[in-house]
Amino acid sequence: MIEFDRVSKRFADHDALRDVSVTIDTGEMVFLTGHSGAGKSTFLRLLMLLERASMGTLRVDGRDTARVKGRDIGRYRGEFGIVFQDHQLLYDRSVMDNVALPLEIAGFHPRDIKRRTRAALDKVGLLGRERVNPAALSGGEQQRVGIARAVVARPRFLVADEPTGNLDPQLSAEIMGLFEAFNRVGVTVIVASHDLALISRLRHRIVTLKAGRLVAGGGF
Amino acid sequence: MPVATLLTWLVVGIVLALPASLLVILQNLEAATQDMHSPARFSVLLSADATIDKAALVSQRIGARMDVADVVFVDKEQALAGFAADTGLEGLLASLAENPLPHTVLVNPRDDLGSEELAVLARALDSFDGVDEVVFDTLWQARLMGALQSGRRLVFGIGLLMVMGAVLILANTIRLAIEARRDEIVVIKLIGGGDAYARRPFLYTGLWSGLGGGLLGAAMAGLFFLYLSAPVDQLLQLYHSDRSFSGLGVIGVLTMMLFGGGIGLLSAWQAAAVQLKDLEPR
Ligand SMILES: Nc1ncnc2c1ncn2[C@@H]1O[C@H](COP(=O)(O)OP(=O)(O)O)[C@@H](O)[C@H]1O
Ligand SMILES: [Mg+2]
Repeated sequence: MIEFDRVSKRFADHDALRDVSVTIDTGEMVFLTGHSGAGKSTFLRLLMLLERASMGTLRVDGRDTARVKGRDIGRYRGEFGIVFQDHQLLYDRSVMDNVALPLEIAGFHPRDIKRRTRAALDKVGLLGRERVNPAALSGGEQQRVGIARAVVARPRFLVADEPTGNLDPQLSAEIMGLFEAFNRVGVTVIVASHDLALISRLRHRIVTLKAGRLVAGGGF
Repeated sequence: MPVATLLTWLVVGIVLALPASLLVILQNLEAATQDMHSPARFSVLLSADATIDKAALVSQRIGARMDVADVVFVDKEQALAGFAADTGLEGLLASLAENPLPHTVLVNPRDDLGSEELAVLARALDSFDGVDEVVFDTLWQARLMGALQSGRRLVFGIGLLMVMGAVLILANTIRLAIEARRDEIVVIKLIGGGDAYARRPFLYTGLWSGLGGGLLGAAMAGLFFLYLSAPVDQLLQLYHSDRSFSGLGVIGVLTMMLFGGGIGLLSAWQAAAVQLKDLEPR
């Protein structure tokens, strides 16, 4: 369970998040929406411990994340799969090696890395493209590589920041379908997106932010 | 990348080759002086009350020994007069009631004597009737040792500076490598890779650069020695040394590579520690 308990984040003289309380249950799928600058990315960055809250408490499974420091941060992030709008792939290596990265970081055996990487690529429909450089793939395919990388180490949480921002409606729907598939097998999914038309068609809770404040969907 | 690597190797190699060459030359010098036959000389000081006749007799008997090449007898009156003339202290010395100098026999041992036999000779000379003291003239050796000692210090001083240079070059290479792969490090950290994981490839780069630099440095030093060995061997022959110029050898090459690899690893560690700390995300 993820709990934002009256969390604020202040940058210089500007509040990116103000007094936000949101609870996300284990196994839930939640959309995070709001205009540009509403604080969606800040919300996710706080969750990933890329930023620290200025006020309030952020708990994951009851544990105060303010206590997660140093070496533990890597292990903490290892429980999350993360998908970026701009994919954040590495273009000096193959699709296979991109997807394998989290497993290599976690120190898996090469044989397991190969097996799990192929399994992840199979789930996103890219089996057979392992040896290709991701730069040779389309935007939608690259995003699927990003998703394969995010899920390959079987994270408990899947976090995506505008994963369909650069994709046409049909590809966007496909990507969202992938997230729903992972959610069905028990992964807690949080997707930030300002594409209301897309996300309101899917039947999941929508958390709405406006200028850093929570306006709807905080839960409980 | 290959060109950059080669350049790093070259620069590190040059920087390591200089002190390594100096060290090898110094070692050769030390070895050569060690087995050069020392033109040892004893000064045998006779007791103050020995008469000139007795002194001359002692000198003769010393000169007759098998292990002595030749002797020079220095009469104490002669010595004092010489000293007075040299120093211009004739008046003062004339007022002395007694000559403070003893009669002296300068003994040149045969030049094939080893240190063992020289010690035997020294004891024998000491036990001669009328001999007060035997002084082994080691001044020239002390001077040479002093020169070599300062040479050694100079080599270590230059070596230290050069190694510092190599460390700076290697650390800068790693810094640039990290800069060039900034995106990758950020991604690695985003998906849960710690500093240790992000640092590892750069440690390999450091080790690799240092090892290559050491090897190339050894090759450069080797070429230099090749150029040097013929004239040096000729010189050594001139002094009847049976030695020839010895270069780095396998151990030397390995040492240079290990040393290069070591400072490469250390520099990389240092550079990565500084760079990764500044790289977001933490
Ligand atoms: N690192 C930062 N430094 C200063 N201001 C920031 C920083 N990150 C975000 N902000 C500000 O915080 C607000 C929320 O940004 P963000 O979370 O990126 O919104 P969204 O993702 O919903 O578009 C914006 O006004 C943005 O300018
Ligand atoms: Mg954003």
